[in-house]
Amino acid sequence: MSGSTQSLADVAGKSVVEDSADVVIIGSGAAGATAARVLTAAGLDVVVIEEGHAIPRDGFRQDAYSAFKGLWRDFGFQAARGRVLMPILQGRAVGGTTVINGAIMHRLPEKVHAAWERDGAIDDLLSYPGLEATFDQLDRELSVGPAPEAVLGQNNALMRAGVAGIGAKGNLILRNVKDCEGSARCGQGCPNGRKQSMHLTYIPQAIAAGARVYAACRVSKVEIRGGKAVAVLGEFRDPTGDARGPRIRVVAKRAVLLAASAIQTPVLLMKSGVRGGQVGRRFQSHPGTSVMGVFDDKVNMFFGATQGYETTHFWDERMKFESVSVPPEIAATRLPGFGADLQARLARVGHVAQWGVQVRAEAHGRVRPGITGGASVSYDLTNADVARYRLGVKRLVEMMFAAGASEVWPGVHGLPTRLTSPDQARALDTLDDDPRRFHFIAAHLFGTAAMHRDPRAGVVRPDGRCHAVDGLYVVDSSLFPTNLGVNPQHTICAIAWKIAERIAQ
Amino acid sequence: MFRFERRWLLRIFDAIYPGGTAEGLRLGAADVPIEGLLEDIAKRAPFDFVLGLRAGAWVVTLFGPLLTGRFRRFAGLSVPERGEVLEALAHSRLYLLREIPMLLKMVASLGYLGVPQVQRELGVPSVDREPPEWARSKS
Repeated sequence: MSGSTQSLADVAGKSVVEDSADVVIIGSGAAGATAARVLTAAGLDVVVIEEGHAIPRDGFRQDAYSAFKGLWRDFGFQAARGRVLMPILQGRAVGGTTVINGAIMHRLPEKVHAAWERDGAIDDLLSYPGLEATFDQLDRELSVGPAPEAVLGQNNALMRAGVAGIGAKGNLILRNVKDCEGSARCGQGCPNGRKQSMHLTYIPQAIAAGARVYAACRVSKVEIRGGKAVAVLGEFRDPTGDARGPRIRVVAKRAVLLAASAIQTPVLLMKSGVRGGQVGRRFQSHPGTSVMGVFDDKVNMFFGATQGYETTHFWDERMKFESVSVPPEIAATRLPGFGADLQARLARVGHVAQWGVQVRAEAHGRVRPGITGGASVSYDLTNADVARYRLGVKRLVEMMFAAGASEVWPGVHGLPTRLTSPDQARALDTLDDDPRRFHFIAAHLFGTAAMHRDPRAGVVRPDGRCHAVDGLYVVDSSLFPTNLGVNPQHTICAIAWKIAERIAQ
Repeated sequence: MFRFERRWLLRIFDAIYPGGTAEGLRLGAADVPIEGLLEDIAKRAPFDFVLGLRAGAWVVTLFGPLLTGRFRRFAGLSVPERGEVLEALAHSRLYLLREIPMLLKMVASLGYLGVPQVQRELGVPSVDREPPEWARSKS
């Protein structure tokens, strides 16, 4: 039996849409889609509700603004508030953030897993050997492999030289892509349908097995009766326009799965009456910042794998370094200067490389429902975190020069705009730990409905079940007890897979 | 967003990306249809973002010249002088002032570099045959 995708146009004229399923999943990203794939394969009837649009495979050929508007939450302008305003990147489309991410697949680090185990956050369901088997299966199904040399591009190749030049070990990034053409536009949604995002993989699989996907449909709350999640309530509405459609109520016969991200999941819990304790607290992230370097030879970061090279050599110091290609609109924003100076730099943008450092930040923030709807995130890096950025940027500068850069633009307030020697990066050692010196972007969000055996220490049990409500599960990175220090897509899929398997039993 | 605020923003964008100042880059922000982008942002973008953008336009237009010791209106400055005002703000000791030119540059970049003509001048392999919808409505 084949399912369907229904959006605003399909339900026009109805006053209410009513449906029922064994399992209702809120969110269609890495967690929700994976759960849908597992549950439908086990023969369960599944409904997936997604706030964003369903974009056709050939619907991604667009400029950065149009992509942000159509695919990113709040146009990419969502920000955490603290001493700095930190943009938070999240996708909002069928496929979730997998539509706009860099296609990086990293297994859960064993040291992180061991810490979770030691802390009593997980049990046998998430044993490492069990997760390894799931990672292997995900690799096969999502075409995970190293970024191919043929479409590596110079931004990635130069980083390989830079990493080697400072004596560190690096590697081609493992990515979920098939026959990547190196368009360097992952953030705008792959224009060639090569990235194996959820809207091209597990969502179609789930639909083929009978799942019904409601797109452009915003969930307002989970209906809880007698301590049990019984239905999901929402409304069809165009996420980028004014059009509104009917209300929706989907009865959940067995379970409701929250897979709406570490920001929206706790907000939905709170709106549904699950408040207090750890809900919305312990928000964690991997904020990143980047450095640009100018090379005599052409770099052309607009060709190649968007993110094709990395080093986890400094992982124990809570840092990971990656190449980051961005579209010209974003690259230009990061170039120093204004007016004629900026135009002169822009004219040579083809000679610019960009690499970033993401830190496994110690900081904990908090998510609450926003006053005007949506969510409010408060998040402030610790001084120790900022010290890591000072060191991280210094290493990026050293890598750039080791790879042959003629000048480097560190983008740090208090440093010269333009560095011409790695020695100048030593000034970073003497700067204070003020986060306002840097420009950060927060990606990889965790911890706001953490799992733990003890209901005082977590919101959900180690199998994703909510401590306070029967039949209500969290399957996204909200339940991660800590951040990982690596890109979380693979781990999100694997944990959602294991929880879905348990539900299907 | 009022019409005069959009006019202020377009003037600032012209100062960020002036035309004909760099070899190979003939077009400037004033030569491409960014107004459609501003209209779309004003209508659709999150309220606090639009508020920040408008506040940025007010700060630069009304107070920016004073920061560089010029007792004139922003519109009364030459294009290079306007660039100097933005540069001075970007190096301010106050974080919120430093962020204003960054925010304005980001929006200017989304518009200026979002049109295929500018991308072609830069040699960027654009995959879009048509200009973006926000640019089409104003072209």
